[in-house]
Amino acid sequence: MPPMSLMLANQLPLYLPIVILIVMAIIFGAVNILGSHLLGPKRYGEEKMSTYESGMNPIGTARRRFNVRFYILAMTFLVFDVEIIFLYPWAVDFAQLEPGSPEAGLFLGRILFFLLMSVIAYVYAWKKGVFRWD
Amino acid sequence: MYEWLPQFITSMVVILVVLHLCLGAAAYLILLERKVCAWTQDRIGPNRVGPMGLLQPLADGLKLFVKEEFVPRGVDRLLFLLAPALTVIPALIGFVVIPWGGYLEFSDGSRVSIMGADINIGVIYLIAATSLGVYGVGLGGWASNNKYSFLGGLRASAQMISYEIPMGLALLCVVLTAGTLLPQEIVSKQLGGQWYLLQQPLAAILFYICLLAEAGRAPFDLAEAEQELIAGWHTEYSSMKWALFFMGEYVHLVVGSAFFATLFMGGWSINPVTGWDLPQSGSIWLILLQFGIVLGKVFLLVFLTMMVRWTLPRFRFDQLMKLAWEGLIPLSLLVLLMTSVFVYLGWTEWLWAGSLGCLALIWLILPWLPGSSGVNRRVPLVGSRFSHPTPDRGP
Repeated sequence: MPPMSLMLANQLPLYLPIVILIVMAIIFGAVNILGSHLLGPKRYGEEKMSTYESGMNPIGTARRRFNVRFYILAMTFLVFDVEIIFLYPWAVDFAQLEPGSPEAGLFLGRILFFLLMSVIAYVYAWKKGVFRWD
Repeated sequence: MYEWLPQFITSMVVILVVLHLCLGAAAYLILLERKVCAWTQDRIGPNRVGPMGLLQPLADGLKLFVKEEFVPRGVDRLLFLLAPALTVIPALIGFVVIPWGGYLEFSDGSRVSIMGADINIGVIYLIAATSLGVYGVGLGGWASNNKYSFLGGLRASAQMISYEIPMGLALLCVVLTAGTLLPQEIVSKQLGGQWYLLQQPLAAILFYICLLAEAGRAPFDLAEAEQELIAGWHTEYSSMKWALFFMGEYVHLVVGSAFFATLFMGGWSINPVTGWDLPQSGSIWLILLQFGIVLGKVFLLVFLTMMVRWTLPRFRFDQLMKLAWEGLIPLSLLVLLMTSVFVYLGWTEWLWAGSLGCLALIWLILPWLPGSSGVNRRVPLVGSRFSHPTPDRGP
């Protein structure tokens, strides 16, 4: 097996097209926004510039407090998403082990314990009513 | 020294071809969507511009470009301008890790991979890139300073992050089965053997549902519900900025369908069960054939998505959240558990039976599972199936 730095050097040119594509996508977005900004007509008016509220006069601003359930949902999501990211390297390694071997059993047992922890958190969140939206 | 150069040139060619294909497809899929809509509603659809309305996307694009670009008072200007670009950029960079063909073999035996970037974290890159789309939607809703947009943006963000979890777990089942994160390897595992659609039917269905929700397609398009939120987060947008949101949605749909085709339908594999299949590497004609097969599968999936959109009614928001958190996540955890145990025991060819076993298990324990809180039953809408008096079930 070649040293890590050499493997990395072999891998790096593979990432170059991604960088070029990201630059192309950014240029595409910028050109579209700038183009329509330059090409389109401009007409201003007091009523026209106001916020759309189905033809009524807008009342107040939209940046107000909103339901706390969105925050709680986002935090619960964070827990699960980080857990899933941890599971990916495990999945690749686990699938390459000999089926039924003791170390595969160790791998499985450890990850089941890890999953059990998050399932306990999930059940707790359910009981607390995080997933109730009615 | 320059042994990476052939792969780099191939990658750039693939990227340029697929990028233009995606953008063109986005324009023509809108026409196809209108045609499918007209077909399901027994109308004719757009047929004035060019033969059979085929020039309609060009006319639409030209019109949108010279429309007035309108920024209302009170918006956060920077974020308002940034949001459409933040929607379309993540959608456009996703396809780079999808294999559009096998390996092109040269006469001296060396070969290059027909994909944008043959990196060994391909699957993770694709979920990361597609889940970035939530920023554009959330920021667009917030920056508009419009109550409809704000609610739409909030809803869309909550929906996207909720459906990302079952999507990641369903994907994990495929990674466990294949034992690799390289998309080319995942395809080559399905070339000689079964498609993962047959091996992991439950994971495939979960993934497809999450795909619809992530792309914001009906029946999960309630972030832009016309009847309640006018258009959701793009109420205040006009001209090309509005079009960028739509382009992002359709490119997202194409890339997601290609991802589904790669993971569950074996990319360019033509034989769903074990047996003879197309070789993975060969001449340029084989590559073109493989490319055509992948595109055909993508088109089939996109067409299925459109049929779903014009057939099914939209969910309510609490139903949507309930489906994700109390339905799909426990189910995907169960499928993941089943898959890891089966991989441990080495029964990978019996995974389909495990999926059926999961369904049977759920059906058996269904009476003991916590049910819904019963709120819906207490709304006696006249003419609905709840209009007759029902016994009060309590809060």
